[in-house]
Amino acid sequence: MTRTIRILGIALLLALPLPILIVIGSSFNPGGYIKFPPDGFSLRWYAEAFADPRWPRAFGVSLVIAAVSAVLVTATSFLTAYFSLRYAPRLGAALEIAIFSPLFFPSAAMGVGFVVLLAKFGLVGFVGGIVLAHLIVTLPFAYRPIHVAMRSIDPDIVRAANVLGASEWRAVRDIVLPMTRSGIMTALLFSGIISFDEVTVTMFLIGPHITTLPVQIYAFIQDTSSPVLAAISTISVVMTLVAVVLLERTVGLAFFVRRETA
Amino acid sequence: MYSGERPRPVHYLLLVPVLALLGLFLASVALLFSNAFSGGGGFSLQYFQQILDRTDYQIVFLRTFVASVAIAVIATVLSYPVAMLLWRADRWRNLLLIVVLIPWLVSLVIRTYGWIVLLGPKGVINGMLQWLGLLDQPVKLMFNDTGLVIGLVHVLMPFAVISILSSLLTIEDNLEEASRVLGARPWQTLTRIVLPLSLPGAFTALIVIFLASMGAIVTPILLGGVSQKFVGTQIYQEVMYAFNMNKAAAWALCLLIVSLLGLLALKAIERRVLRNHE
Amino acid sequence: MSERDTEIHAGAAGAVRDHGAVDIRGVSKHYGNVRVLHDVSVSVPPGTFLTLLGPSGCGKTTLLRLIAGFTEPSSGTIAIDGRDVAGVPTQNRPIGMVFQNLALFPHFSVAENVAYGLKLRRIPAGEIARRVERFMDLVGLAGYGERRISQLSGGQKQRVALARSLVLEPSILLLDEPLSALDQQLRKQLQFALKDIQRKLGTTFVFVTHDQEEATLMSDVIVVMDAGRIQQVGSPGAIYQNPQNLFVSRFVGEINEMPCEVVRADGGELLVRTPAGGLTLPAAAARGFAPAAGAAGVLCIRPEQLHVRADAAASLPGMVSMPGSLVEELDLGPVRRTTVDVAGCHLRSLTVGGEAARMGCAGAPCAVLLRPQDLRLYESADARQAG
Repeated sequence: MTRTIRILGIALLLALPLPILIVIGSSFNPGGYIKFPPDGFSLRWYAEAFADPRWPRAFGVSLVIAAVSAVLVTATSFLTAYFSLRYAPRLGAALEIAIFSPLFFPSAAMGVGFVVLLAKFGLVGFVGGIVLAHLIVTLPFAYRPIHVAMRSIDPDIVRAANVLGASEWRAVRDIVLPMTRSGIMTALLFSGIISFDEVTVTMFLIGPHITTLPVQIYAFIQDTSSPVLAAISTISVVMTLVAVVLLERTVGLAFFVRRETA
Repeated sequence: MYSGERPRPVHYLLLVPVLALLGLFLASVALLFSNAFSGGGGFSLQYFQQILDRTDYQIVFLRTFVASVAIAVIATVLSYPVAMLLWRADRWRNLLLIVVLIPWLVSLVIRTYGWIVLLGPKGVINGMLQWLGLLDQPVKLMFNDTGLVIGLVHVLMPFAVISILSSLLTIEDNLEEASRVLGARPWQTLTRIVLPLSLPGAFTALIVIFLASMGAIVTPILLGGVSQKFVGTQIYQEVMYAFNMNKAAAWALCLLIVSLLGLLALKAIERRVLRNHE
Repeated sequence: MSERDTEIHAGAAGAVRDHGAVDIRGVSKHYGNVRVLHDVSVSVPPGTFLTLLGPSGCGKTTLLRLIAGFTEPSSGTIAIDGRDVAGVPTQNRPIGMVFQNLALFPHFSVAENVAYGLKLRRIPAGEIARRVERFMDLVGLAGYGERRISQLSGGQKQRVALARSLVLEPSILLLDEPLSALDQQLRKQLQFALKDIQRKLGTTFVFVTHDQEEATLMSDVIVVMDAGRIQQVGSPGAIYQNPQNLFVSRFVGEINEMPCEVVRADGGELLVRTPAGGLTLPAAAARGFAPAAGAAGVLCIRPEQLHVRADAAASLPGMVSMPGSLVEELDLGPVRRTTVDVAGCHLRSLTVGGEAARMGCAGAPCAVLLRPQDLRLYESADARQAG
């Protein structure tokens, strides 16, 4: 690799997290407006963020939505992958196309579709409605790692469990589930992060009583330049960081840079 | 794991959750259609007619399309050096990968907010320039096309890096060595071996970024401003402020069609390019 | 469990039983238009080591998987311990199975793999530990319980798979080419170990292999299969000495072949014409078909039944002599293989003791001698296919 490319690569790599680092840095600035580098060190804006009940509430809502969506979408993906891989690979391939189709929808178009749909059920502005939308948005991201992990299980391993006396359910619990563990972990954390951070679709679905953290940050950016936003953003970044490091520690990051060979 | 067994009826219950979700998605698309084609209490093509008649609307679509193509190309090109750096950084790859993954996974509101902090009138860049005495009035870095393109390129770049890196990692090490042993110069190795083999990843990046940019709302509003109209921002305003669901649905459908046409065009180019490199 | 125990007990006590460990009656299996098994019937006597032998694609693995219950037969019945198992799911069949790729649970330790079946049967932990230890000992893996599967060698994995199945003391153990992935030496070693364990436990083994040497070495009964049909059932010796058809004689052991035409078939004798001249054989030489004048056939004889002499005119009492020319002589350790060209057919002879003087160089005239009653006459393969 030539030196020019190397230097360019390093510069661009460092530029990627730069805006985030500046937000984090300015969150500790004691002054009343955004400033970087900060003049001093203060946790004043964190205290203010917690003092305003709207922030803890939005944070809690986002966390609940992310947790519920992640668990439900991972369970859905597991059941679907099991059925497809064990009983119906052809049907599974067709299902997969359907599962991945939301990826080709521009978020703005999906947002309109969901708001019209949820309005029919009176679910706009409710946690349940947002969860439904997030399930569809995160489904491809949860399905793929589980499918990849489960695909490599030899059918004879499941049969071996059956021969030893395991019912289908026991074989799934004792063999398929633990052998798909890395895919399940990736699916849970990946879909959880995406749900926690989703804004473009979610901003159509919030209501007067319910809003998520990223949507509320968006709303505040337009109204205020208070460094309290930097503090909130920092907390949100830390959440994502924790999830990514957890992923790296438990199952590694290889999933993200694996290309499908099949 | 295929067992060759036929599923028993009870096994089809496993598909209930996914079919429910896909059904809801399909229903939302169907509602998009039914809303787009109605207005004034019945079937109507008025919103499509508007888009066909009004040049200002057409300009919004054209702007969004051109900007998205430009953003996709710039982000993909800029991602190459980073992807190659990670590709060659064997020992540090995981750490560097986190440096790329975090900006990708952190909410794009926050990343956009970071650019406001940087580019805003009271932002870091203006502050520094004034402090250095180079300026006495802040320059306008935001609320124009520059801010929008910078913001979206940055927001969408991490994905391109990951996608290209995935392709690079499929290249066998000895291929590059072989090329060098045969006397190729580094640049020749790069353009004749590495570049062609990484093209599938690059095209994935182009397509995904193009689509994400077409549907973007948050970054265009915050960095481009309301006056710099983007299809996404127009749709959002129709829904949230004008409450005109029919018009929003018609716009959303047009956005979907334009995006899919762009996707098909990119796919056609990809097939062509990949065939030439075989 | 208790029901099974008493049944095994009854069998061991020598009670009269009118059924085998496995009884397969008229079983066919097809996938779409492809028939993989045609009307297969065989009974596995309790306590035997029975081998399903045949080339790949002959249906032997399908038959094993039908016994295991992974799929159901298209027609016919399978009974295990005298009970029809149609519709009985795998987990409720009194069988154990060792898979070709072993199918060990990679996320369990060695001991957990062996204990898994016992745990499913809710056996108390202390009892599980005792039994696991006993069977680990039996397969020669004492002290390996805590290892991960990935830390084991190929042969050790083999033994874990065996222990995992045997610890449940199934009345029947199915083995699907479990040794095929191993190198020659390890394979030999495990063949003996397997046979030894089978003898000790008295379990019925149904073993699948495509290796006739392995089958001969280990089995009490061999079932030779080809093209979805059973070709012959018998002890290794009986099958080698008395192959029922051309396929079996080719597949089990080495064989010499010479095409011929039946000239006359009457009374106790057959007259055939071969490229090397006419031959008279006993009528009992014909196997699997009734030869009529004009029928095309194949004459077969084992290499050790051929004698080669350096003198083209050599003769021995009771033997037919055919002149030919020497092709090659190979010393294979304890035996010498001599190949002779007789009227365009290459015939191979095996003789014990490679020290005898060599016949000469290639092309040297010599004679092949054989006893007519050693010859077998089969319908030629072409004729069989046409029919």
